[in-house]
Amino acid sequence: MIRQGVFHASMLAAFLSLAGCASGPGGSIYVPAGGSTRAPEPPQTTKGGEDRENPQVWRKSEQPEAREPEQTQRSNKPSYRDAGDELSPAALSLVREADKLLKSGDAQGAIVRLERAQRIAPRSAEVYFKLSQAYVAGNKLGPAEQFTLKGLSLAGSDVRLQRAGWLLLADIRRAQGNVAGANHAEERASAL
Amino acid sequence: MFVRVSAIGLVLLAGWMVYLDAVVTDRFEGRRFEVPSRVYARPLELYDGAGVSSGALERELALSGYRKGDGVRPGSYRRNGGHFVISTRGFRFPDGDEPRRKLALNIYGDRIQDFSVSAGDSAAIVRLEPARIGGIYPAHKEDRILVRLDDVPALLPAALMAVEDRKFYDHFGIAPTSIGRAMLANMRAGQVVQGGSTLTQQLVKNFFLTRDQTLLRKGNEALMSILLELHYEKDDILETYLNEVYLGQAGTRSINGFGLASQFYFGDSLKDLDVHQIALLVGMVKGPSYYNPRRHPERATQRRNLVISEMEDAGLIDATKAARARGLSLGVSAKPSYSENRYPAYIDLVRRHLARDYKEEDLRSEGLRIFTTLNPAIQYAAEFAVTDTLPRLANGDTGKALEATLVVTAKDTGEVLALVGGKDPQYAGFNRALDANRPIGSLIKPFTYLTALEQPERYTLMTPVLDKSFTLEFDDGKRWQPKNYDGKERGEVPLHLALSKSYNLPAVRVGLDVGVPAVRKTLRAFGVVTPISEYPSMLLGSVAMSPVTVAQIYQGLATSGFNTPLRTIREVTDSGGEALSRYSLKVDQVADPAAVHLLQYAMQETMQEGTGRSAYYSVPKELTLAGKTGTTDDGRDSWFAGFSGDLLAVAWVGRDDNGPTALTGATGALPVWARFMAQVPQHGFSPVVPDGVNYHWVNTERQALTDEYCDNARLLPFISGSEPTQRVSCSGTLERKIRGWFEGLFQ
Repeated sequence: MIRQGVFHASMLAAFLSLAGCASGPGGSIYVPAGGSTRAPEPPQTTKGGEDRENPQVWRKSEQPEAREPEQTQRSNKPSYRDAGDELSPAALSLVREADKLLKSGDAQGAIVRLERAQRIAPRSAEVYFKLSQAYVAGNKLGPAEQFTLKGLSLAGSDVRLQRAGWLLLADIRRAQGNVAGANHAEERASAL
Repeated sequence: MFVRVSAIGLVLLAGWMVYLDAVVTDRFEGRRFEVPSRVYARPLELYDGAGVSSGALERELALSGYRKGDGVRPGSYRRNGGHFVISTRGFRFPDGDEPRRKLALNIYGDRIQDFSVSAGDSAAIVRLEPARIGGIYPAHKEDRILVRLDDVPALLPAALMAVEDRKFYDHFGIAPTSIGRAMLANMRAGQVVQGGSTLTQQLVKNFFLTRDQTLLRKGNEALMSILLELHYEKDDILETYLNEVYLGQAGTRSINGFGLASQFYFGDSLKDLDVHQIALLVGMVKGPSYYNPRRHPERATQRRNLVISEMEDAGLIDATKAARARGLSLGVSAKPSYSENRYPAYIDLVRRHLARDYKEEDLRSEGLRIFTTLNPAIQYAAEFAVTDTLPRLANGDTGKALEATLVVTAKDTGEVLALVGGKDPQYAGFNRALDANRPIGSLIKPFTYLTALEQPERYTLMTPVLDKSFTLEFDDGKRWQPKNYDGKERGEVPLHLALSKSYNLPAVRVGLDVGVPAVRKTLRAFGVVTPISEYPSMLLGSVAMSPVTVAQIYQGLATSGFNTPLRTIREVTDSGGEALSRYSLKVDQVADPAAVHLLQYAMQETMQEGTGRSAYYSVPKELTLAGKTGTTDDGRDSWFAGFSGDLLAVAWVGRDDNGPTALTGATGALPVWARFMAQVPQHGFSPVVPDGVNYHWVNTERQALTDEYCDNARLLPFISGSEPTQRVSCSGTLERKIRGWFEGLFQ
């Protein structure tokens, strides 16, 4: 059963590698430090004190309790999006390294590279699917299932990623002996 | 008969000696050759798109020991505005070597661009050498800076021997004659100035034995002292004593050895101490807490002067020097400082994590390399936010008594990036971030509402909840009548508003409706391991947690229902770089991502329209933060927990004595939190809409779908199937399912 899981996951790996040729870190909105409230450049040798002068003054009267705001019926628009981030070239280079290690049978080494990729691309579904695949290769199906679920939570409306994730999940669950869970995951994949 | 008993006795004694000998040599060997563990910050990753400001990069380079120079020599860099040329030294990481390289990059808008490797192996991403942030010597909360006998001013051991053990170099571990001499000296002085135990005996006592004063222990102490002397040189024993002796307490941490004591009491290294300071330290051996110079300066001065006299008697100093030394003040720094340990609160947490997997001896002696998750740039911003904001929050005695903590984690990895344990981040005492367990107030509400939202057939974000007072009567006759913070009641309010405005009455009503056990279950799933009250008052946050625990449970809210255990350590290797342990990323789905998405909406609303909106006075709107305020009775605890796309931070402000303040979550902890967030370049929070969630424009008052352009329209997420079925026009007239008069007919 597990072998079968590994087999499917490897197929998926090839698929993700091909599909993952993203360009640039898209998706998330990057916000530089906030203008005038930026912390002052610190002294390099001395500590504390006057050097940490602050350009902006907090006034308690600015706090919400002190001033009841006008009730606007119109709401601010919530921030949400339909899909996670694409892999940046830097993250992609680490995923490629991980692929090589996986091929040579070094699942642990692959996990180390992928965790490094995850730190710089934490909102990319692909990284989590890759982690799942590395855990499958190391025969650790529990973490593999969880990373697949995490990847799925970031796949959003991307049908390609959704399908890859649900199929991966089906493989892992079947290898775990969870037939019902596997069937459910397969149904989700084919419903896409 | 007598012979037989004696023979048995001798055999037993011999056996006992063999055992004691093994104990003595085993432990002593371990201590004598200990090499401190080295602790590293996370390495800075350089690549196109990496978020870092020019100032932060320069600071990071300085921490890693880079010099400003030509950028050609390894370990140097050149900066021209936002343009950097860096020559790295290379570093052996647990996962392989990072070779020497020459790098070029530009920083624009707090982001790396045009990253290239101009010499060395090409790479799209490169790690700088990690900054060394400390050494770990102890596990049992013992802290010390190791000193070698050669580096200790000769007066110190001489004075120590004059007071504690004059015949140290002559005896064989125990000195019966010195007991008599000590008694005599004590009688002459009219108080205890000398002890009868030799330095060897004192070391054995600290090293191997408990503090009980039993005959058996005394016997063991004597035997072990003799054994120790048999095996080791006097100087070895003396050096170990100097590093072992207990000399004070900093919160939960004990100050051991003269090396650290010197830093701790004088802020100076041992070799720079004067006669009167050496005398004080030697005097404190007798009772570090009784003679604590900060708490009991008079006692300490008396004791110090006695030691100075003993030194004079022993001919170590002349009368003039002695008189001068006696005339000086104690010379103690106002508060303890460590030059060794710049991030005491963070290192404290690292130690506790290490203690799960590593033995004391290993940490002390094996020269381990510990790779932590500390991000120096984030730590700097966090410390600045606390020290800069706190003085502005209150004046007078309350202001002086105010303390604060800030915990920052990476939202999706659970790595603890920064930890501030109090208003003085350099102070190595009570670590509030870990050990201050305080009621969390309204920080609990998201978990109550999440429990409700996981039942989409019963609760949506616009479900009307009753904001109306009521009284609970318990079996024992006690009554509980919760109130809103402002004392007002508003009738029916939609659930999202009840959370974003943090109304108490709806929260309790919803909590009682889904049941306290269900809310407790949610909290458990999100990582609370400490006891949780079963009383309904827990729904208003009577349950106490440490700031780090709050960060742990909010991790699951920030990551769409995935519990991500907090980590401070990535890897531990031995001194040669071989990996000993890895602490991997773990995720565990503990809640329905769809329900968490709904909750995240309400937590964003909290920041835009609710109790957290003052954050946007200093934080750019684009960060689209999500968070929650928390306040306990009389402003004893002011909490704020919230997150951006990259970071999760928890701030607490309050008093150590649990006294009242005039602060709320929004006026105490939030300014600290926002001050931190505003300084750090990062991504906005914009969660991916999970499967099975759809957004609809609704009129919450009418519980119906409506059109985007209507004045009272709000775009709300719904779990599929729970969205309203009716639709109203902007004026509120039903457009579909016109049922009004019809329903009336049959009711």
